[in-house]
Amino acid sequence: MSEPEVKPEVMRISWGPQHPMSGQTRILIDVDGEVVRRIIADIGFTHRGIEKILENRTFIQGIVPIERMVMADTANIALGYVQAVEEALGIEVPERAKWIRSLICEMGRINSHLYAFGLQVECTGYFPAVFLWTTVDREVLLDLFEKLTGARWSYSFFIPGGVRADLPEGFRDEVKRAVKYLRRRFQDYWDAMVENPLFEMRNRGVGVLSREDAIRLGATGPVLRGSGVDMDVRKDEPYAAYGDLDFKVITEKEGDCLARLKVRFHEIEQSLNIMEQIADEIPGGPVRTKVPLFPRSKPGVEALSRVETSRGELGVHIFTDGGLKPYRVKINSPTLRNMYVFERLAELDRVLVADLPVVLYSIDPWYLDCDR
Amino acid sequence: MPARSEEELVEELKREHPELLVEAVIHRSKRVSIVAKREKILELARLLRDKYGFTHPVSAGAVDYIKEGRMQMIYYLMNPETRFMLMLRVDLPRDDPRMPSMTEIWNAMNFHEREAWEMFGINFEGHPNLTHLLLPPDWRGGYPLRKDFRGEGIRP
Repeated sequence: MSEPEVKPEVMRISWGPQHPMSGQTRILIDVDGEVVRRIIADIGFTHRGIEKILENRTFIQGIVPIERMVMADTANIALGYVQAVEEALGIEVPERAKWIRSLICEMGRINSHLYAFGLQVECTGYFPAVFLWTTVDREVLLDLFEKLTGARWSYSFFIPGGVRADLPEGFRDEVKRAVKYLRRRFQDYWDAMVENPLFEMRNRGVGVLSREDAIRLGATGPVLRGSGVDMDVRKDEPYAAYGDLDFKVITEKEGDCLARLKVRFHEIEQSLNIMEQIADEIPGGPVRTKVPLFPRSKPGVEALSRVETSRGELGVHIFTDGGLKPYRVKINSPTLRNMYVFERLAELDRVLVADLPVVLYSIDPWYLDCDR
Repeated sequence: MPARSEEELVEELKREHPELLVEAVIHRSKRVSIVAKREKILELARLLRDKYGFTHPVSAGAVDYIKEGRMQMIYYLMNPETRFMLMLRVDLPRDDPRMPSMTEIWNAMNFHEREAWEMFGINFEGHPNLTHLLLPPDWRGGYPLRKDFRGEGIRP
């Protein structure tokens, strides 16, 4: 990116890309004393060309590169791609596989929200310990992933036509035990952090995004719901087993950093409820249909699949040309949309330099997802 | 202003504004495509935002149909009331891929158009800041997502 001009009354600061709190991106800030006048996000440091890579892989090989978009949330990302492939190739999925998919997606969502929560707390500068708590607690989920899929991260568990394996013996009880443990821990987090006046002071009324602006600027996920818009793909357009599950779309109307944190927090509670429901009510039957290893597409088909990842709506638009590989895959990534909102926040609200890390991490950026 | 369902939107557009469209189709539930004429796209976009309530921009991207000698730019839009995905498409000739920028209608198309510019070489007229987004600022290697792009020998 070439740098835009600096006005004479402001000073430009370059933050990142080699700074522990900025992540793998550079953010240019125009400051007037303590007040941020303008934010310019210089993204692209982790651009790997996943869209181009996918054009050179067969449909099933593509699962592995696309999972690398968001490591903390691979299940949701892979599901977006796998569903698009299924729609483009006309593959049916058994009912039990859909429920297992929802289970793993919700576990991934908790994993990712825990990470976001830990980082936002770290940004406020108060409690370095909390990030370690969340890191320890996600081990519970990672152990479950390992038991089910064989890998703790990037498990490539979803394939067109279902999932790779059925639930192992006694897995449902372990899910319930994990839910019970995590519920108790989240109560601790809530009491220690969200109810804490010092933490609240740093987050309440900071980086306020109004409902109209959130819609107009194309925000998504917890950022959009934190501004009071109840858009959630799981409800608007139910996929996997979400049509049969009972859960609420969480919204907060304040639109500040605390509201976005609370949305994530309450979403974790909803995810825990969903996990319990699935463990109790999962139907029996096969978990995959037979799909050839190199399925051939029909020419001129396109399929757009939408899923709700932990950062917001992911769209995967596949175009086919009758070959073994997709002709083009367009990925609508959630963080790219939220980064634009972050760029505009300095114009919408009074943001101070000291609050900038909190504002940035309240949108929960994942730069690999942003750059693809 | 009543929110319109997929069928109502497609029928009303075909009836009242046939001069703006090439075609309008419903792919399946919640997926609607409108192919616009390149010279009328701004007019149609303004109509979609102000009259039909498509105020929530989702994304934008392009596809390169090299055999047919055209590229297609796709804008993904949503109405927060009805929540189906509207794909506003424009066909551009491959040897002259330029079109008016949509940023004056949907601000948030800024990033997406910059990406389409650097990846496909589509020229957006009236874009406020058409600079590299994901690629390095001194990139001279061509347009990576075009189908005739060859990566060999490029030193960024």
